[in-house]
Amino acid sequence: MILDGLINGLIMGGILSLPVLGVAVVYGITGVPNFAIGLIGVFGGFTTWYFLSVGLPLAILIGIGICFPIGYLLQGVLLTPLSRKKEADSTLFFLITISFGFIVEGAIRSVFPKPTISIAFPRLGAIHIGDVSADGFKFVALFVAVVALIAIRLLEQHTKAGRSLQATSQNLKLATLIGINTNQVFSLAHGAGCSLAAVGAIFWGALYTLDMGTGWHLGFMGFIIAVIGGIGNIWGGLISALLMGMVMSFAGYFLGGVWQSVILYGIVILVLIISPRGILGSERSI
Amino acid sequence: MAEPILRVTNIIAGYGPISVIKGIDFNAYEGEIVGLVGPNGAGKTTFLEALVGNIEIREGQIHFLDKRIEGMSVMKRRKMGMVLMPQEDYIFPFMPVKRNLQVAAVLSRDEEKEELLDFVYGLFPVLKERERQIANTLSGGERKMLSVGMCIMANARVVLIDEPSIGLAPKIVTALFENMKTIKEETGKTLILAEQNVKILKIADRIFGLEAGKIRFCEKTEDLDEAVVKELYMGE
Repeated sequence: MILDGLINGLIMGGILSLPVLGVAVVYGITGVPNFAIGLIGVFGGFTTWYFLSVGLPLAILIGIGICFPIGYLLQGVLLTPLSRKKEADSTLFFLITISFGFIVEGAIRSVFPKPTISIAFPRLGAIHIGDVSADGFKFVALFVAVVALIAIRLLEQHTKAGRSLQATSQNLKLATLIGINTNQVFSLAHGAGCSLAAVGAIFWGALYTLDMGTGWHLGFMGFIIAVIGGIGNIWGGLISALLMGMVMSFAGYFLGGVWQSVILYGIVILVLIISPRGILGSERSI
Repeated sequence: MAEPILRVTNIIAGYGPISVIKGIDFNAYEGEIVGLVGPNGAGKTTFLEALVGNIEIREGQIHFLDKRIEGMSVMKRRKMGMVLMPQEDYIFPFMPVKRNLQVAAVLSRDEEKEELLDFVYGLFPVLKERERQIANTLSGGERKMLSVGMCIMANARVVLIDEPSIGLAPKIVTALFENMKTIKEETGKTLILAEQNVKILKIADRIFGLEAGKIRFCEKTEDLDEAVVKELYMGE
């Protein structure tokens, strides 16, 4: 039972870590908590489902690709100009991104013919570890999460755009003073974050079902898990997602599904009281 | 004498309804060190922030390389060749030393980056020794060296530095100021240093005395009565 809980927890955490990475990139760099990010990801999931007839790989690329300009423009056209206003505070961004989430929700409902979908991926059969067997495709989700994390780290360290992202997240004032175009960095980060959320939503849609509720759920869970890991700390986000996945898995096994949320959010409150900057500390200095 | 590289005419600037800078005239020539001295609250930081465009000025003009720049963004002024090292930590805390220096060269040409890095390592050998170390694990003095190194990597013609000596041991301040002199002599950059440390009088070519948002004097350092400056402007 323990091995079963462990494997399922890891898989759940792996899937959750994808929107977490999206949130971590966006909030870690722009300082704006975008609560619509899950819905934008779900929009990408629905787009993938809609274009399945052109072939799965291309449909996935379209779904992920369409979320990039949404995030890029949301930041460049709305959030960056707004952040220059004196009245701009976290409450304002909370209300605006929530409202944007409802707009995306309306768009999904009006554009796509079904409110709930599942995305047909080829199945890989069961993988057995000891007495436990799990759908092989779930392991692919975990693998993609780890690859995405390593890719982000490599891009951050070995490309000019990546170093600009890293610099902006660590010291915004300095990044501006030395000549980094921080507005463009914010837009790029938001575009990349929304694309990562789309990857998470596509996997969710392949393993379970995708609807509007999933979008809000992934967005809020992603944000909470990113805070627990340490905002801007991408490794912290992954560890936090895996731990939270295991907490939910074991709580479900030992106490039943109804206790999952109680245990999970109880731990969230406890961690934030003990370490407000998350378990691995935040890299954000602003 | 040549035209000044930077010319400021009667600028007024501040925060909210308060004017901290109340009509300042200032100039700086290519390849000199200008000291801006004054007690706390005199407006030194506000003045530097106004020069790079971090705060908007309410009145007056700023000419840099014969162009009016007061309406330009921080980025445009930076591209023209002006950079500010603020008073607080001028580093990216979670990056290694070398990457801090590389990122600071974001607007420098590729072919000059290696040369600039060699110059910085020559000036501050400790940075070469610690190039893989994460910046926030450096000592206070080393961080300041890194900050100055980053200003060099930025390859600006005019470098504004806000109180570089703050929080440093006297011996380190002396060494840091000697390095400033070397930077001026070997690169021909213009350095404008806001300071309260008397050691600025040893390296600056000219000193502007700032008090309550106004320039009280501007003299060549050798013409100054050092004792009066120390007493009135440096809290000695």
